[in-house]
Amino acid sequence: MITLEALRRFGADTEKGLAMCMGNEALYLRLINSVPEQQRFDELSHAISEGKRDEAFEAAHALKGILGNLALTPLYERASEITELLRNGADADYERLSAELTEERKALAELCEQCD
Amino acid sequence: MKNILKSVGAKRRVLIVEDERINREILGNILMTEYEVVYAENGQQAIELLQKEADSVSLILLDLMMPVMSGEEVLKICRSNDELSRIPVIVMTQDDAAEVSSIRGGADDFIKKPYSMPEVILARCERIIELYEKKKLIDSAETDPLTGLYTRDFFFEYIRQLERYQDAQMDAIVMDIEHFHLINEIYGRGEGDRILKKIASVILAELSNGYGIACHCSADTFYIYHSCTADYRGLAERILKEMAAVSFESAKIRLRIGINQNVDKEEPPEQWFDHAKLACDGLRGDYTRQTAYYDSAIHDRQLYHEKLIRDIDSSIANRDFIVFYQPKYGIEGDRPVLRSAEALIRWKHPELGMISPGDFIPLFEGNGLVQKLDRFVWAETAAQIAQWKKKFGFALPVSVNVSRIDIFDPELEDRLTGLLNQNGLSSNELLLEITESAYSDNAVRLIEVIHNLRDKGFRIEMDDFGSGYSSLNMLTTIPIDVLKMDMKFVSNMLKDEKSLKLCELVMDISRFLDVPVVAEGVEEKAQLELLKDMGCQIIQGYYFSRPLPAEQFEALIQKEEELAAKKS
Repeated sequence: MITLEALRRFGADTEKGLAMCMGNEALYLRLINSVPEQQRFDELSHAISEGKRDEAFEAAHALKGILGNLALTPLYERASEITELLRNGADADYERLSAELTEERKALAELCEQCD
Repeated sequence: MKNILKSVGAKRRVLIVEDERINREILGNILMTEYEVVYAENGQQAIELLQKEADSVSLILLDLMMPVMSGEEVLKICRSNDELSRIPVIVMTQDDAAEVSSIRGGADDFIKKPYSMPEVILARCERIIELYEKKKLIDSAETDPLTGLYTRDFFFEYIRQLERYQDAQMDAIVMDIEHFHLINEIYGRGEGDRILKKIASVILAELSNGYGIACHCSADTFYIYHSCTADYRGLAERILKEMAAVSFESAKIRLRIGINQNVDKEEPPEQWFDHAKLACDGLRGDYTRQTAYYDSAIHDRQLYHEKLIRDIDSSIANRDFIVFYQPKYGIEGDRPVLRSAEALIRWKHPELGMISPGDFIPLFEGNGLVQKLDRFVWAETAAQIAQWKKKFGFALPVSVNVSRIDIFDPELEDRLTGLLNQNGLSSNELLLEITESAYSDNAVRLIEVIHNLRDKGFRIEMDDFGSGYSSLNMLTTIPIDVLKMDMKFVSNMLKDEKSLKLCELVMDISRFLDVPVVAEGVEEKAQLELLKDMGCQIIQGYYFSRPLPAEQFEALIQKEEELAAKKS
């Protein structure tokens, strides 16, 4: 299981995340641990590669909420960026943004596995 | 409510509707500290759960973007369902645009995603729940469950709120049903309720055409506050017409409607309706009309009556009430002989001067206060008889009035015998007059009381005989000692044949019952002669003397003594 210390180094606002979980460290870490398995990541990258912007928005939007609640800042910032761009219907390099998010997801997944 | 639940260790239940597991868990973990939490993963699940146990859910936390059924759809269903719409909904969203649309859709509050601090979420949930619980209490006290009309307190509160924002001319209307308690007694509560419901629905239908509110004020009384319209007379008539068209078990419903037109907004709202009620009460027993309008004459009379009611106690204490005595003469012999007297009350009001008994006796008979006057007169009269008895060596019997309400006084007999004992009188010296209409009221109790009184030696005079509704049959069952012919017959006996015939009829009845007749209101010699010819034994009236204060009446006793002495 990932540690608070490792999370902090990863760039998460652990203080805020813990507060969200009413100081329940076990709950917080358990939820963080389950983030890399979130289907929403796959839905997002899939929708972007297919050019389905509505579906992409829905997935990004959902991820933004989850990641924000857990104060996973590095992932949250990327999900946020994608969400807002899609919301405004902006033209952007979504493939690259999605890839960056996928990188962060991988990094978190490794962190979780390392600590196991 | 929160404290009550805490005291029994119970928690309110909150439903979280959210498709993302992580969000569900975070939110659930926060809310668990204060509530029991139940979850739904999408709108469909939420609705299914709510349909089963809507009663036990105090709050819904609703995500908007969900598969299967979106939060917007859930909100729509909740707000179009009576039972579900009493549950508050807090929407969870990231979008400002969604906030506007869900406010329109009936959401009560928002929680932003990502979530704000847990304390904020908890405070918002608590606030909304408390608000709804209070609203529910208010809603249940706002209307009367039977009729659906406002309750009295809310009715007046809404009038006051209305009046802050408008200054249109308004009417206050009070409506009630004559003898409603009888309908309940005879046909049962269910029938009474049915009638009340019908009236309420007619009133509501009327109000939907115009501008106004209504309340079910008490048992059979309805208040309506309505804008003055050109055809406001029509309002009452339409309600009456509708009611006439409905057939109830009970033969006939008589509605009474009192209207206070264009209320005086300087006065408090309660008074507008007090005045309308006054007009309504004025219809009691008046079968020629069903609507009455409040006017200043009614108001003045009411103020006057209120003053009289307020002053009765102090006037008794200050002896502003004075007992007058009117002699009754036996006319059978060569010369009239003073037989007895009738005690009559007069009110010398400290501010209003002499008040005619006609102004206060019916008022006090109506509200029962006459009992106080009667007791005062009994005591005064008993003392007076005793004083004359001492002075002249013989007792002149005096009759006093016993009102209908006295008959129901369980201590009546003790009270009267107590007075006799106090003053050293015997029971045949204080005569009791009971008005004829009292006889038709509660014959059983009356017969019992009269029997008891007569057993103790009292003599009973039936007052105003001929004016009431006594059946001849009743006359034979009620024991009486004297008939007092209704004054009206005597007043009119010289003018119209019918009254003369009625005088003769009363004389016939008295012969049948074998009791003497007292004729009151005799003013002329011609009347006296006629009555004498008919066989009437005793005469009371201005022909002999008006009612006199005790000191002046003494002169009549004195004269009587001298005449008696001369003869012997």
